[in-house]
Amino acid sequence: MATKRRNLFLYLTLVCFFCLIAIFIVDGYMGIYDTIHITAGEREQEIEPDVWLRQDRFWSAGVNWGEKAFFRYELANRQFSSYTADIEVSVWRMQEKLLDVLSQPIVVAPFDEGQLEWVIDTTELLPEDIPPEQSYEYTVLIKRGEIERNIIVYINPTPYLPKPAPVPPR
Amino acid sequence: MKLEYVLFGFGILFCVAGVGYLAAEYVKYLSEVGKLVSLLLTVGMFASLGKYLEGLGW
Repeated sequence: MATKRRNLFLYLTLVCFFCLIAIFIVDGYMGIYDTIHITAGEREQEIEPDVWLRQDRFWSAGVNWGEKAFFRYELANRQFSSYTADIEVSVWRMQEKLLDVLSQPIVVAPFDEGQLEWVIDTTELLPEDIPPEQSYEYTVLIKRGEIERNIIVYINPTPYLPKPAPVPPR
Repeated sequence: MKLEYVLFGFGILFCVAGVGYLAAEYVKYLSEVGKLVSLLLTVGMFASLGKYLEGLGW
């Protein structure tokens, strides 16, 4: 009787252990995960999928005035069926759409990865009448079906260089 | 008998290491419900293991 009871606890331990592993696999591993890489200047930033799972709604990235930001959007399909989605990328400021960057479907095979790349040129976005000493912000909105990722692109101002004073005429 | 204990010890160590590895790798991707169920299962697992070892006379 005592042995039976003892074995029952052993079986319970094993059941809990295997259920834990099953949860890690089904809930933690399986699914669709997107990773965003942003290269601006000489720095590459990686926005991992857990950033969005922590319910951070925004991510901020800095780009120097007049330079380009290179985006790479990686989509990992950890499911038994292939995944299809429409990816739309646009640039916004003050709730107003300024630029449609990309709009295309993506198909990712089961347990495979797909990726899209695009470039955002700050010279195309910045108004002509603002001085380079002024910073600026835009929101890059990545839509995958119903899911939205917001990346705030902060345009670093160029340092103010004082103009040389004119030489007074002799 | 002593060899059995050593083997049990290794088994437990591997189980804990395995769960620890999976936790470190995938716990950040778990949903809130998944985290809660995992916590309850972990408590249940160690409680059952404790009772089993107690039954063995440890």
